[in-house]
Amino acid sequence: MNVSNLTLNYEDREEPVLRDISFSVNEKETVLLLGASGSGKSTLTHCLTGLYPRELEGSMEGRVIFHDKPVADALPGAVSRSIGIVFQDPETQFCMLTVEDEVAFGLENLQVDPEVMEESIDAVLRDVGLQEKKKAKITYLSGGEKQKLALACILVMNPTMIILDEPTANLDPVATEAFVSLLEKLKRTTEVSFFVIEHDLDPWVSMTDRVLMLGRDGRIFYDGPLRGGLQQYAGDLKSEGISMPRVSELALQAGVVGSSIPLTMEELKGRFPIISGDRHKGEGKESLLGAEHVSWKSVLRDVDVSVEKGSFTAVVGPNGSGKTTLCRLLAGITAPSSGEIWHPFGKKERFSHVGYVFQNPEHQFLTDSVWEEVAYSSADHAQVKRMLEWCGLTNHADLHPFRLSQGQKRRLSVATMLVNDQDVLFLDEPTFGQDAASTEHLMKLLEDKHRSGTTIVMITHDMELVDVYATRVIAMKEGQIAYSGDPEELWEEDVEALHLKRPLRVQLESEAYVPQ
Amino acid sequence: MYLNEMNPSVKALTILGLVLVLALLFDPITPLLFTVSVIIITFLFGTFRKKHYLLYLLPFTIFAFGMLWTTIAFADVPKNPGDTVNLIGWEVPREDLLVALSLSFRVLAFATLSLLFMFTTNMVEFLLSLMQQLRLPPKLAYGILAGYRFLPMLKTEFGQIQAAHRVRGLGQESRWKRYRRFAVPLLAGAIRKAERTAVAMESKGFTGSRERTFYRNLSIRKKDWLFPAGMSLLLGVILFLSIHFGYFSWYQGQL
Amino acid sequence: MKNWKLKEIVVMSVLSVVFAVVYLAFLPVGKVLVGFFGPIGYDFIFGIWFIVSIIAAYIIRKPGAAFLSETIAATVEVLLGNAVGPMLIISGMIQGLGAEAGFALTRYRRYDLWTLMFAGMMAGVFSFAWGYFQSGFAALAGGYVLLMFISRVLSGALIAGVGGKALSDALAKTGVLSSFALGKEKRKKHAA
Repeated sequence: MNVSNLTLNYEDREEPVLRDISFSVNEKETVLLLGASGSGKSTLTHCLTGLYPRELEGSMEGRVIFHDKPVADALPGAVSRSIGIVFQDPETQFCMLTVEDEVAFGLENLQVDPEVMEESIDAVLRDVGLQEKKKAKITYLSGGEKQKLALACILVMNPTMIILDEPTANLDPVATEAFVSLLEKLKRTTEVSFFVIEHDLDPWVSMTDRVLMLGRDGRIFYDGPLRGGLQQYAGDLKSEGISMPRVSELALQAGVVGSSIPLTMEELKGRFPIISGDRHKGEGKESLLGAEHVSWKSVLRDVDVSVEKGSFTAVVGPNGSGKTTLCRLLAGITAPSSGEIWHPFGKKERFSHVGYVFQNPEHQFLTDSVWEEVAYSSADHAQVKRMLEWCGLTNHADLHPFRLSQGQKRRLSVATMLVNDQDVLFLDEPTFGQDAASTEHLMKLLEDKHRSGTTIVMITHDMELVDVYATRVIAMKEGQIAYSGDPEELWEEDVEALHLKRPLRVQLESEAYVPQ
Repeated sequence: MYLNEMNPSVKALTILGLVLVLALLFDPITPLLFTVSVIIITFLFGTFRKKHYLLYLLPFTIFAFGMLWTTIAFADVPKNPGDTVNLIGWEVPREDLLVALSLSFRVLAFATLSLLFMFTTNMVEFLLSLMQQLRLPPKLAYGILAGYRFLPMLKTEFGQIQAAHRVRGLGQESRWKRYRRFAVPLLAGAIRKAERTAVAMESKGFTGSRERTFYRNLSIRKKDWLFPAGMSLLLGVILFLSIHFGYFSWYQGQL
Repeated sequence: MKNWKLKEIVVMSVLSVVFAVVYLAFLPVGKVLVGFFGPIGYDFIFGIWFIVSIIAAYIIRKPGAAFLSETIAATVEVLLGNAVGPMLIISGMIQGLGAEAGFALTRYRRYDLWTLMFAGMMAGVFSFAWGYFQSGFAALAGGYVLLMFISRVLSGALIAGVGGKALSDALAKTGVLSSFALGKEKRKKHAA
């Protein structure tokens, strides 16, 4: 594939989304495109598959050539016969009800003889490890399984190139690892080239041959091996919304980069000094609210837990372990099947003391503008203004909340929940699928509120965040509390059994203790 | 079982035909006999969760009974007020009772036919068959299928929006305003997802052209004609019986 | 179907599925009204059962949108369990045809409030004509039937026409319709 001088303008935006982009992807190569959310990554995908300019409201210049033919000349759907795409959202890639029908759908489009279909379907499901699920309904698959299925649907059509558009953004760390290692296996055993679009580098380090870095201005500012890019642009990456591998970031912070920037634990080992144990311990000892013998359907079983006043509590655990259910019960959104939730707030004004930021912030929006959204809960003009300034949305006050970026939506949601100085704020995976810059912005806001006394309860998969911010941690497993207490002590437990990973700092410290 | 395996298009057209004929009739006996036979046929020749079937049938039955009572209670002045029937200690004009029974059994006959189809038909096979036998354009058929998949997702989404709104302290507003606040996030989310699904389908090489092969080939076999033949025969016999016993009449617009 | 984009079809189908559920949810409301006012109760809110054809046509603006969306919604409603059964699919098709006729009369060129209200009224007219033969309004007194007819047509104009437009416009504000006919029109107006 060859892209030359691609520039793309949307009708409703003044600045071009992509500017003068040229690059190529060779056979059997894995190229990683890095860029902040909103930097035009998905737009580029649409150009590569020929969806643009066909369905574009705007103008596009430049050429996309695939196997010596311009992509734009092909019929809709025809390009896809050699370029496959796995999209970000696992929910919206399918049109059939069962796994085998979905895989067959692509073959049918290629007009493959039905006689040989079953054989191909079985083979590809075996390749991605879904052979047991052949007859299963897609709705009942987990997020990770859905992404594997999406991959299977594409593999079965024998493409020469696969585009992966943030394929792991909606997966938890365990599923992400499984998905990437599946891709690594495919890279070894097939002839396919991969074009991965991501803002989170970490899982992809070992399989990438080359990276492209896409800036916020729509230009590609780096094309080459990963290490070179990091070395050259280390200072700019954060403002471009690209996150470095965490190992590299740590090494930079500690000033142990040396001649070549480390990318993996192995490379960092031995160079790293032990970080002093300046960790905040659980300061609050007084319990604010909690659960006593609480059960909910078959999801939670006889849970006893309390949240301490003024704490920053992280709720962790594998998907399906009951994290969201626990938080909803504690917040009073759902009523327990049995047991009791105790809290100091009156029944009627409970939600003026408790805030809850949902996984999809859009669900909470009620009005047609950002300003009204905050004002809905508080009539005080000055307070609304202060809130918008605080979360950096003053310039967007007149915009419809749905038109904000993912990160801005999250912040608006936090603002609406804190406008009345609520005592407790629950957040359901607030940093999921967001780029480095918006994660940092959000965490700063939360840290700020935490300092001024707000109790924060946050569901997360990100152990680095737990390590930096949490003063307490609740780990869940199969509907029960597996651990509750100081984060520092959690790392000494058997965290693998809880599908957790120790944060890098802790990993490095334990490495340092091993006599070599 | 036969009903599950037969061609869905033939099944649907047969049922539609039966419904149209039943709609023209108005007497209590024909739909009653027909309803009972359809339930028996469904149980004999279909595989499905029996408990679910009964759970679905129950509201229809309640609806039919409710209709029975209200029709009797609010009926016009009958032509022969003297001709009454004693119904559990309630003197009811015979004419009114017949009208009420006819209406209720009609509803039940429609409902049982609809349930027969619902419980023995796989939605995907139905759409595949509409494409393969009745020439429905694939673009439309797969588009519908993709939309139909959204149903469980919409249900979860609905619950989430409900919970999310509770936290925002919603409640003092008019009903219409509340509906709107619900509808916008729900529909906006659904439309965005629908668009993504369409892009994903095209990225798997779907062009909407009729030139495609089918993993599951549905054809009309000889034994598929058994159902329309059998059901017409059944209706014929029942009609004959009700004419024979003098109950039969055409539908003349009774309410 | 040739000039329809796949995403338009999927969106229409999703709208139909959503409104199939809404249609079902409004049946008990109708029943309560019937309890108060007699058979005319349904006619007051009958417009709600035309709304998807107005919304789909207003958003997508292609011939067939009104008819197809209403037909799919009715079919899904039956599959979800409506007591009327397969007959409802035919009623749905006729209502859809009514709305479709309204748009066809403008040659699919105008989509202002008046057209939408007119299409809602046409749906009411068609559905009433069908109901007259099928559900036996003939047995009711002439004046009462006329009143039923007027309320159904008005309900079509107000609930389906005005309501459908308001809902679609609110959706357009969120930006999700930007690649559909309605969203494009809004953008042009905005730019002008």
